Amino acid sequence: MFGEKALELIKELERSAEGIPPFNDDGIRQVLEEMRILCQANFDDIENPTTDPPNYSSVRVRHMAISRNKRCILAYLYNRLQKIRQMRWEFGSILPPEIKSLLSEPEVQWFTSYSKALATYMRSIGDNYGLNLATDVTPPKSLYIEVRCLVDYGKLDLEDGEVIFLKKNSQYLLPRAECEGLVRQGVLQHVTS
Amino acid sequence: MDDSVADVSEHLDSSDNEEFTPGKVLQDIENAWLNEKFAPEILPHQSELVDCMLEQISHMEENMKKLKKGDIRLAIHKMEIDRIRFVIKSYLRTRLEKIEQYTIHILSEDDKKSPEESYLTPGERKFAKEYLANIETLFRTVALQHMPANFQAFEVDKLTVKPNLNSHVFLRVNKPVQGIIVPGTTNDEIDLTAGAQRLIQYQPIASLVKEGAVQLI
Amino acid sequence: MDPNEVEFLGEKQLVTIIPSFTFNQIHLISGSIGPFRAGLPTQVPIWLAVNLKQQQKCRIVGQEWMDAKLLIDVKDEEKTSKFFTKMPSDHYMDETLMLLGVAPEDIPQAEEIRTIVKDLWDIRMSKLRTSVDAFMKSDSAFAKLDHLTPMEINCIRPSLPHALDQRDRIQTCGSRPRDSQDTQRS
Repeated sequence: MFGEKALELIKELERSAEGIPPFNDDGIRQVLEEMRILCQANFDDIENPTTDPPNYSSVRVRHMAISRNKRCILAYLYNRLQKIRQMRWEFGSILPPEIKSLLSEPEVQWFTSYSKALATYMRSIGDNYGLNLATDVTPPKSLYIEVRCLVDYGKLDLEDGEVIFLKKNSQYLLPRAECEGLVRQGVLQHVTS
Repeated sequence: MDDSVADVSEHLDSSDNEEFTPGKVLQDIENAWLNEKFAPEILPHQSELVDCMLEQISHMEENMKKLKKGDIRLAIHKMEIDRIRFVIKSYLRTRLEKIEQYTIHILSEDDKKSPEESYLTPGERKFAKEYLANIETLFRTVALQHMPANFQAFEVDKLTVKPNLNSHVFLRVNKPVQGIIVPGTTNDEIDLTAGAQRLIQYQPIASLVKEGAVQLI
Repeated sequence: MDPNEVEFLGEKQLVTIIPSFTFNQIHLISGSIGPFRAGLPTQVPIWLAVNLKQQQKCRIVGQEWMDAKLLIDVKDEEKTSKFFTKMPSDHYMDETLMLLGVAPEDIPQAEEIRTIVKDLWDIRMSKLRTSVDAFMKSDSAFAKLDHLTPMEINCIRPSLPHALDQRDRIQTCGSRPRDSQDTQRS
């Protein structure tokens, strides 16, 4: 059936709703090849018709199949771009290598151009004040948590300028954002009462 | 020390114009943010408000540098700035998402307007054009140029996505409005009284949103 | 809209606190707060009250309406009324959660208040479901949502507007072929 391979491309994207599947170079090539064959068949039918009058119905069906293939390819590419766009917002302007390997070269170029256009725009905000729109995606929450210090860590500079000395076995009330790193490092322990 | 921290609100209050207090500008930005979040189409840009508020933030940050470490005001001002920045960023992100989703439609609508009437800021417009050009380049490189000769066009009409202006929105009425007609319904005209909250199609109230007579919620 | 964002809007509401420190007026971009005198009540936005409380720099007095007796009356009225009654605050639910969450020991009858507010919310949500159902079955071009609070409105978004959009789509799709048939027949 005409258009089956094209539909396969769409289904492939559909199946990996979360991530992005590797660029299907071969699939695209096959759909393009089908388009070329259909186009040639139409050309032949019109140039050297085997019936009189020429069989316009089959010409029309082929024409529609070509259009459908075109639509599927563009939909495939466009929907991949939507995923790639999302990655710019999630990972920043440098693509992780494991993701880059799933993209075609033109897609990598598109990512770079998109990143550049976005950076230019973000720099221009507020009369060139500049604003990184990729950060602060959720409303700010100032959450303080109670932590116990597990080692004699020493000086800790807080964002509001306050300086505290973290001593082993002492408890502190600290902004969560500022002690998350130390909790991961095992310097502080979250005390849950 | 207290008074050396030149205070932004007083500074602006002295203009004797209630309209331009930083608090009012902030409220206007929050309203613009909610309108933009809930309106299906892109709304006229509010860059004067954004620019003004970002200036307030810079000013405040300058003043904060004069405060001593540990001053209680440092943390409080920072919290407030974080909140304002979030609103501005979320507002601009929402616009950018619409620009990406409806690029062709938004650009062609904008072409019909004079630069002063444009819904986009110059920065957004430039971004929209580059975004569209980049997609066209990718489509051509990967696919279109390899297609049969009469199928190579980048068919703008077929690629245009338009927002659904008939979609339903929640609103609160700021100024009373009478005689709204929802197309395709047999109902009588709808009157909106101040303070009322309604769920209604966007199309018939679109201009009211832009005028500020209603607020999307 | 993310519920966090509704809460964010609710955090702008003012609440009375009793600071444990003394400080002059502070000029915020959104307006001035203070002066703060240790032991004397003053009003600040909830976002600040929560932060000061977490740092043990204040006690939260709570909202005037955070009163079990008053709330029971509100609840009874809501129960008997066919319509949505006006809530004592546009953010009654999120304010209760935030303030009781951070300062349960400061607010008298915190547990009772929490329970009544939860009941109130449940009554209103069940009323909301019934009215949404009735509205969908009607052919009305708009719905009245007076006295619904932002958090409640957010609960029927996006499902209700979305359902209406789909209904309209089906109706316009259905009307088109019928129109063309009519033309053919004539």
